[in-house]
Amino acid sequence: MKPPPFEYLSVDSVQAATAALAAANGEGKLLAGGQSLMPMLNFRLLRPSVLIDINRIPDLAYLKDEGERIRIGALTRHRMIETSELVARQLPVLSEAMGHVAHLAIRNRGTIGGSLSHADPAAELPMMSMLLDAELELASAKRRRTLSASEFFVAALTTDLAEGEMLVSVSFPKMPPSAGWAFEEVARRSGDFALACVAICLERSGDRVSHVRIGMMGVGDTPMRATETEALLTSGRPLDDHLVAAAVGSIRASVEPNTDLHASADYRRHLVGVLAERAIRRAWSRATEARHG
Amino acid sequence: MTDGKPILAVERGGAADSLAARPKIVGARVKRTEDARLLAGKGTFVDDRRVSGLLHVAFRRSDHSHARIKQIDCDDARGMPGVVAVFTAEDMASVNAIFATSRMKDYHATAITALARDKVRYVGEPVVAVVAETRYLAEDALELINIEFDPLPVVIDPEEAAKPSATLLHEEAGTNVLCAREFRTGDVDQAIACAAVRVSGRFRFRRKSPLAMENRTYLAEYDAGRDELTLYSSTQVPGIIRDALSEALDIPGSRLRVVAPDVGGGFGGKASLYAEEILVAFAARRLGQPVKWTSDRMEDLASTSQGFDQIVDAELALDAEGRALSLQADVIGDVGAYSIYPWTAVIEPVQVVSFLPGPYKIPNYRGRVRGVATSKPPMGPYRGVGRPTSAFVTERLMDMAARKLGMDPVALRLKNMIQPNEFPYRIGSGIVWDQCAFTECLDAACEQADYSALRARQARARAAGHWFGIGIACYAELTGIGSRISVAPGMPINTGTETAKIAIDSTGAITAAFGVASMGQGLETTLAQVVAEHLGGRVEDIRIIQGDSAAVPNATGSYASRSAVLAGGAATLAAREVKEKLVRAASHLLEASADDLAVEDGKVTVVGTDRALTFRQLARAVYLEMGRIPSDKREELTSTRTYDPVFGTSATAAHLAVVEIDPSTFEVKIERFVVAEDCGRLINPMIVDGQVHGGVAQGIGAALYEEVVYNDEGQNLTASLVDYIIPTATEVPSIEVVHIEKDSPTTLGGFRGMGEGGTIGAPAAIANAIADALSPFNIDIFELPVSPERLFRLIENATTDRKESTHGHEA
Ligand SMILES: Cc1cc2nc3c(=O)[nH]c(=O)nc-3n(C[C@H](O)[C@H](O)[C@H](O)COP(=O)(O)OP(=O)(O)OC[C@H]3O[C@@H](n4cnc5c(N)ncnc54)[C@H](O)[C@@H]3O)c2cc1C
Repeated sequence: MKPPPFEYLSVDSVQAATAALAAANGEGKLLAGGQSLMPMLNFRLLRPSVLIDINRIPDLAYLKDEGERIRIGALTRHRMIETSELVARQLPVLSEAMGHVAHLAIRNRGTIGGSLSHADPAAELPMMSMLLDAELELASAKRRRTLSASEFFVAALTTDLAEGEMLVSVSFPKMPPSAGWAFEEVARRSGDFALACVAICLERSGDRVSHVRIGMMGVGDTPMRATETEALLTSGRPLDDHLVAAAVGSIRASVEPNTDLHASADYRRHLVGVLAERAIRRAWSRATEARHG
Repeated sequence: MTDGKPILAVERGGAADSLAARPKIVGARVKRTEDARLLAGKGTFVDDRRVSGLLHVAFRRSDHSHARIKQIDCDDARGMPGVVAVFTAEDMASVNAIFATSRMKDYHATAITALARDKVRYVGEPVVAVVAETRYLAEDALELINIEFDPLPVVIDPEEAAKPSATLLHEEAGTNVLCAREFRTGDVDQAIACAAVRVSGRFRFRRKSPLAMENRTYLAEYDAGRDELTLYSSTQVPGIIRDALSEALDIPGSRLRVVAPDVGGGFGGKASLYAEEILVAFAARRLGQPVKWTSDRMEDLASTSQGFDQIVDAELALDAEGRALSLQADVIGDVGAYSIYPWTAVIEPVQVVSFLPGPYKIPNYRGRVRGVATSKPPMGPYRGVGRPTSAFVTERLMDMAARKLGMDPVALRLKNMIQPNEFPYRIGSGIVWDQCAFTECLDAACEQADYSALRARQARARAAGHWFGIGIACYAELTGIGSRISVAPGMPINTGTETAKIAIDSTGAITAAFGVASMGQGLETTLAQVVAEHLGGRVEDIRIIQGDSAAVPNATGSYASRSAVLAGGAATLAAREVKEKLVRAASHLLEASADDLAVEDGKVTVVGTDRALTFRQLARAVYLEMGRIPSDKREELTSTRTYDPVFGTSATAAHLAVVEIDPSTFEVKIERFVVAEDCGRLINPMIVDGQVHGGVAQGIGAALYEEVVYNDEGQNLTASLVDYIIPTATEVPSIEVVHIEKDSPTTLGGFRGMGEGGTIGAPAAIANAIADALSPFNIDIFELPVSPERLFRLIENATTDRKESTHGHEA
């Protein structure tokens, strides 16, 4: 389990990184935290000609309050996001999700840029960026562009990143203070990739849901929004047991999970309903709290 | 020489009194002396060894489950810069194949070679070895090797493989059934005919990997000038490997040494001979340079011996009062592709039928077993060996019977257990239990857990819609077995004796050498405690040598819960003899009668005075200051003694698990886990606790998480730790341990072995707790591990069945 031969290049700017990527003609790979890349190299699943180490680029690891939004640099470690007070205040659902990303040692190394670019369908950050409608800032030697999360994730382990392009930052709109939220996940063990996961942000008006976003993962090839269930919940009916049951039915009907060693499609479909119900109820009660608090 | 029974008689004479009379070192919670280095990262494992000119091995392994090797083309690999040698089976014709022979009838040995010859029989089997200047280069060279395989039909399902029409893995055996055996006592059919209650099931215990933290690593050094070969091996059995390599390579033991330095866990997975050990030893000698191979995790999961994997059809019959009348079982054990050395393919499956009757009086018994070869890595000893499956089956049947009879499962067990006044007791498979604490352990576990309060809590939990279950498992194991019993039936090597070689040198320091091999379980501390106790030395002054085939003539190693009993016994005998010599020397030097001397804390004192000699002073007088002791009275302060418990002893425990299952996600949470165990006299309770905790953790793995999965083509789907999942600290609850210290009447010192037990009881207890939690749905657990997916299926089926039957009613 040793990687095939490769060149190693350490760069100190985004320009240098993208220039090196361009020069490698699609044979280059960026090295961030290495938590997904190194195993793939050791299994010889990847054979890049050059590894471009971005860990020494200054000013690529940060959390910035930009008023309406919070911007996070691509090299920001999972642990920094997990422990950030800014995130806890403005994006509490993200704050909670971070505790589910792998184990502490991995969170100390792994980066948000690496996680999003790797696009594992059972990873928390891709899903959270879908849920929170994040915008991803990409740079290549020639240009910069911004994509929404839903445009960025194409398929399992596949993104819209072009050859020679890198992710430089992600920006999340702050959650409204009155929003209720919840993050519910089932994994075989603490720190494992999720068997199924549902996260919700909602706002209420009286006994109705006025806005809702539902993200889910582990139940398809990419993280997804449960748009049909969102529409059902905001259709003007009061949020009662009937509506919750209908939402559970609708979210189960909307997914086509895969079967693997750890869980069958049926079990995952079952779980997504269970987690959706828990998440809706918890988010609803939190939204109430927010109003009165 | 047997120091067994006769010495025992003497030992029993005054041992209890003399041990009680002074502060006990045996029985003290001494901190593990090896931890100072192990916890500070200063241990030396094989892979830590630095030698100049070291070459590295990488193996090209079979990616076919079963295939003929048509052609191997290594030319490009041989020509690659940095590659020193490439070996195939053809290049190793001079190496003798090794066979795990057995006197058992209906047994077929299979040839063990370093590299596959003619055929491959499992995915991961080594076919070509590349030796290069670095491991990186060696792995690069693997990609240049071209092997042409001619695929043969897969042999992956053990039941199919057992059929006469099945494709054979070993044509020369004429069958895939490598071993078959039957035990019979009484008349099972007759008993079943009169039974009031019968419970039965088809039980499945899935395949497991031992998964030691340290992967297997072998480093061989060859001294060409002396024609001496030393293999550093992460093994539990240095002496057994030495003997096998001596045969394979034709080197006498005097010029062949196997050293197991610090070893990072074994659990049985390092207790057998491995192809890679033969290859590394061969290559170092052939090339005249040190050669190393370190397994990576993928290789470990693909090629280290595996455990369990049985299908058991079993039935228990009882009378209306709940007295067990008969037990019958038909077992198919999947023994993998080769019969492992030295234990043979018999070891795991036959243990299942040997131990099925467990701690119960079951007058009629029939246990049939077949060990069937399939295209998987060989089945080897794994912590618990067979008994986790027997306990799972018997203890599940006990619970099923209790439900059917409307009896409490504890009451049913107590009723059927061999009672304290009924020992020694021979169970249906022929095993004889010495004085075992069956009822005492069960009572103690219930008391610790407050069993009746738990049942009351369960009633409340159920009323509130919780899935709350309590599970119990009781078992006994043979431990510390002596020369009259083989670890595996018919095995030709003796594992029943152990030698201690104790010496006080001219500086007064004490060195004690043994044939055992610690893989992390603290033998350096426990054996030092036993030596200190009987020699009168201080624990910290005693250096223990173990894990070295050169330490004593037959250094078989550590396995089968033998080390504390056998090495502890040998240590006792040798320490006493050295002490007698110390006393004689001191008696002369201090001009005092031996009866007036006390040996304690590293010195000999004339009782009631301040006149004393330290071991150092005594040693100088004996070895250096000639003339102080007349030459005819001068004795070397050494002793070498061998201990043989002849039959051995047994250890017992009762496990109690409390679980709660999430009724919507089906996740299982272990709320409490209680173990009441009897390992005889405790040498170090802290170490015993640790062994119980570790064993239970592995039992939790077997119950809920761990499963080696092969697909229909024989590919291992669980070849990384992403897919082969083990419990981590977050999944293991704190474990409550109660010790019932019932001295073994048959071993020196009263020790019973205990390394494996935790893994035997936990799977059964957890399975019972889960079944208990699900009993309102009439769900029984027949398969381990109980993954959430399996629970989901069971519950889905049970609830659809119910829906269907209610629908039927309405119609
Ligand atoms: C045992 C284990 C358990 C794990 N469990 C979880 C889990 O439960 N949930 C979870 O979400 N994750 C989990 N992970 C993955 C972990 O979160 C990784 O840190 C993350 O997926 C990758 O981040 P990284 O910085 O390590 O990226 P790297 O491994 O360095 O890179 C990953 C990929 O992204 C590319 N890349 C990196 N940075 C950029 C960039 N700025 N722009 C473009 N491409 C880039 C690399 O070239 C590579 O292809 C686990 C990992 C391990 C080892």
